[in-house]
Amino acid sequence: MKEKQQSPIAVLLGLASDSKNKFIESVIFAIIGVVAGVVPYFVGAKIIVALMSGNTDIGYYSKLCVIALAAYVLKVVFANVSTTISHSATYKTLKSIRLKMISKLSKMPMGTLLETPSGQMKDTIVDRVEGLETTLAHLVPEMTANILIPVCLLVYLFVLDWRMALLTLVVFPFGMCFVAIMGKTYPAKYQESVRINKHMNDTVVEYVNGIEVIKAFNQSSSSYKKYEDAVVDNASFYYNWMKSCQWPMSAYTAICPSTLLTVLPIGCIFYMNGTLTSETFVTIMIISMSIIGPILAASNFVDSIAAMGTVVGIIADILDGPELIRPKVSAQMNGTDISLKNVTFRYNEEKEVLKGVDLEIPAGTVTALVGPSGSGKSTISKLIAGFWDVDGGEITIGGRNIKELSQSDIANAIAYVAQDNYLFDDTVRNNIRMGRSTATDQEVEAVAKAAGCDEFIRKLENGYDTVVGTAGGHLSGGERQRIAIARAMLRNAPIVILDEATAYTDPENEALIQEAVSKLVQGKTLIVIAHRLSTIIDSDQIVVVKDGKIHSQGTHAELLEKSELYRQMWQAHIGAKDGE
Amino acid sequence: MLSVFKKIWSFSIKEKNNLQKSIVVGFLNAIFNAFLVAALYVVLKAIVENSVSTTTAWTAFGIMVVSIVGKIITQYFSQLQRTHAGYFMVADKRIDIGEKLKSVPMGYFNQNSLGQITAIETTILNDVESAVPVVLVTTLGGFLNSLVFALFILIFDWRMGVITLLGIAIFLLITSAMEKKSRQGVPARQEAQATLVETVLEMIQGMSVVKAFDLDNNLDKKVDRAIEESFNKNEKLEKEMTPYVAMQQLVLYVFGVALMFCAITSYINGTMELTNSLIMVVCSFMVYEQLKVAGSCVANMRIAEHSIDKANKIDDVPIMDEGGNDIVPPTTEIKFEHVDFAYEKKKILDNVSFTIPEKKMTAIVGPSGSGKTTLCSLISRFWDVDAGSVSIGGVNVKDYTLNSLMKNVSMVFQNVYLFADTIENNIKFGKAGATHEEVVEAAKRACCHEFIMALPDGYDTRIGEGGASLSGGEKQRISIARALIKDAAIVIFDEATANVDPENEDRLQKAIEELTKDKTVIMIAHRLKTVRNAEKILVLNNGKIAQEGKHDELIRKAGIYADFVNGRKEAIGWKLGRQ
Repeated sequence: MKEKQQSPIAVLLGLASDSKNKFIESVIFAIIGVVAGVVPYFVGAKIIVALMSGNTDIGYYSKLCVIALAAYVLKVVFANVSTTISHSATYKTLKSIRLKMISKLSKMPMGTLLETPSGQMKDTIVDRVEGLETTLAHLVPEMTANILIPVCLLVYLFVLDWRMALLTLVVFPFGMCFVAIMGKTYPAKYQESVRINKHMNDTVVEYVNGIEVIKAFNQSSSSYKKYEDAVVDNASFYYNWMKSCQWPMSAYTAICPSTLLTVLPIGCIFYMNGTLTSETFVTIMIISMSIIGPILAASNFVDSIAAMGTVVGIIADILDGPELIRPKVSAQMNGTDISLKNVTFRYNEEKEVLKGVDLEIPAGTVTALVGPSGSGKSTISKLIAGFWDVDGGEITIGGRNIKELSQSDIANAIAYVAQDNYLFDDTVRNNIRMGRSTATDQEVEAVAKAAGCDEFIRKLENGYDTVVGTAGGHLSGGERQRIAIARAMLRNAPIVILDEATAYTDPENEALIQEAVSKLVQGKTLIVIAHRLSTIIDSDQIVVVKDGKIHSQGTHAELLEKSELYRQMWQAHIGAKDGE
Repeated sequence: MLSVFKKIWSFSIKEKNNLQKSIVVGFLNAIFNAFLVAALYVVLKAIVENSVSTTTAWTAFGIMVVSIVGKIITQYFSQLQRTHAGYFMVADKRIDIGEKLKSVPMGYFNQNSLGQITAIETTILNDVESAVPVVLVTTLGGFLNSLVFALFILIFDWRMGVITLLGIAIFLLITSAMEKKSRQGVPARQEAQATLVETVLEMIQGMSVVKAFDLDNNLDKKVDRAIEESFNKNEKLEKEMTPYVAMQQLVLYVFGVALMFCAITSYINGTMELTNSLIMVVCSFMVYEQLKVAGSCVANMRIAEHSIDKANKIDDVPIMDEGGNDIVPPTTEIKFEHVDFAYEKKKILDNVSFTIPEKKMTAIVGPSGSGKTTLCSLISRFWDVDAGSVSIGGVNVKDYTLNSLMKNVSMVFQNVYLFADTIENNIKFGKAGATHEEVVEAAKRACCHEFIMALPDGYDTRIGEGGASLSGGEKQRISIARALIKDAAIVIFDEATANVDPENEDRLQKAIEELTKDKTVIMIAHRLKTVRNAEKILVLNNGKIAQEGKHDELIRKAGIYADFVNGRKEAIGWKLGRQ
């Protein structure tokens, strides 16, 4: 399963392939812009030559100035056209990256979706992708210009006088020596800076999110001190880092562009020797001053490219993540008996959560999964619902491996109701109708009545047409839960999985939720995970799960008889149970 | 451009001094940079006068060396000052925020507001930190350099100087016009961005439902549309900006050529010497060079400006006035007198009066949204009342310092927050300097000793990222241990046992009851057993105390409480399965 590590640039090129032509266009325009931009230097040289030779024909100069001006206009136009094209290609690329990620989302195992904090995923899709814009959009035209301009000028310099051309370049490696001095400590310092910055971010996040606890436990001063230290450490580290490399850095930025340091004095000597004409000398002065700037600008880009690489890596990780693909056309199910054979499963690289589970769930029966927290009972129900693929063994529904069933068939066969169910920012009616898109308004209202939500829905501002707000924000937990139950009811799937669906989300409304659940599960194959054992004692089979294995199974009476663990759980439950 | 500097200036409260110094030194740096014109002058003059000698060469070399050394030194100091300013103005802001959070009413914090504050503290201020030094160095530096060049030229030849300055002025005008335009376009873009965020979030969160119900993927379409829209708005904004960027560049080139042309005509009509004219021609190529670079940093300026604006949003967070005295309350009887409280215009408590007896258990029951949690947070002064008063031991909670108030109140929250630290330290958080024995004792009472010992590192197991992942119930119990070790006279439990497994619930319940021997316990609860044993039951409904009294009294009267009890009994008797 180990895929080969691609370089970020290769990944990016792959992602940008739709816009390849655009980027090429952008480069072409940038090159034209560069060529136009070099013209004024020749014009300047010609003017100097003319001035020194005593030419006073104003018409001649005017003509040259107009040429320079025209060249500049061309340069500006083409450079900006190039940037515009590059921007639009960049935005197209960002768009295609986002679209790819979105379509990846629907292929991810549902479990992964539920486990990944939605904020983190959003961050990547929206913010981090956006962050690529500046570098990517400016990279193509500006890198082209920044590399080509010095090259063009340098060629011209060599044509004029190769000795002077070399002299122009001499300061650059000299200046670069200083970068090399800094470069030695850079990797270590960079690592350190990442660590310190992360430490600060963690401390800040903890301080902000824990502020309630911090204040409630009167720990403001010590926690604040920790926070302040982390903040000051962070700033001090960067400052001291900068300080430690500021001398070479300053030397580098001051020396590199100072080509005149060599060009002027040695030029004078060549001039005195008569091997350099005054015109060439002056021309070289102009050109030599313009040659290093772009090179420095190009080298600044290297950092941005590195930063871009990190983001691209994160994106590639998501795009290369495991997929859960179901066939479009399903194998034919034969009934709805569920069977698990030697099922093993682990999340990511973590320890095995299920270590060989065998379980038969005959159609039309009630099966309760019980066990200590972390035992794997919830994982079993999620695997049956197809949230993940098993690592080993197999799960069959109606005699068919779940992997051979289409998403649509699984969805038709199983209704999974959890404690917290997501509602879309849409009307109540449409949220319920998601259970079956062809349902009429009457049908929607009928299931709402059955699920005990009709009453409160009608009290809402716009009744069934009330928009529930993001993630159902305008409704209480119990109300959301009942709407989700109505939705599942409308689906009328033969198998219902209740994953702690009756836990204390909204204790005051518990009776109402229970009533709704009772109606939902009538005549279905029911798999239930419940806190309170008293709710499930009538089940056809109770499965005690412990440490990723089935510890024991049987009816309530049988288990009381044979399972010590179950007996303990039951005792504890009886003890804690409300009332006497 | 100027507005960014203004923003940075007002943002840099304590760093103004460094900024000022950096500008002065930066000015010197620009002057040293302009020395190269002098070197050019020497050589050009010698060429024109046909007097080039080794002295010329040495002079030019000397001037260049002075220029370079001067630049290195000034660069060193100005850069350091700017770096200091950039990083420490952000550090100061972070410290300010941290300080401020101490006096923000605790009720203000919810997932949303905490998320926003965290975002400001991390991402946004990180952006400021990295963008501001760049803006200062490149933009400010570039601007100073061109300005100094212009001043040099002004001294040299005032006509040329005026032209150069005019170029800078027009460049600035266009820049500010561009900023204005960009500000107009930005809201639309941000709106598109916000929609994108919203739909992407909806997509991510709703995907499980889409899959579970095998819905037509119209969510996909919605997101695709939002992505398309974000693309359009971005592209539009960029297209609108392009003419301005082009104009910026063009102006500088036009003025460069104008300088050149003026230098030529001045020479031809005899008002300027040849040497001067030549040097002006050379200068015309470099005068605006740095300004161009500055202009190309618009993106960074936008980031800096935008991030500063966002960071300043923290000023909108409300704060509570503090003060008060260190008071040890004579008793721990709690009294609400005619308390009103509204949150975001929604009335939550309406003229509520009651007393919570000392060293007894008081239960608060009521439908969700009736104000139970709010009521508790008024006791610990997480909010201030709008009207009326809350007092502990006859002293208004406002008269206590936060410290002395908190010494007396311990809370177990509905949403458990544990620190990314060891379990031991998390429990110790309730009492700094507690011994290991005390920690274990508290853990035992909170029914977590057993599972903690079962963890590989026991009490030294780290929680959170890279550490042990605990179940909701386990975290809840650790938070209870933390509250118990604090040993405060008043303990508030907000639905504290909701997440606890039934196996532990019973033991926990007993531990809590034990507490009431010498503590005032307030419990938001729905468990009949808890409620039944309470000395006093407060039934809250629609922001008012609907009923109060003991279980036996209340159960006999028709009303919310009787309904509640019956509802509970029904819920408890409920069974799943064949009916």
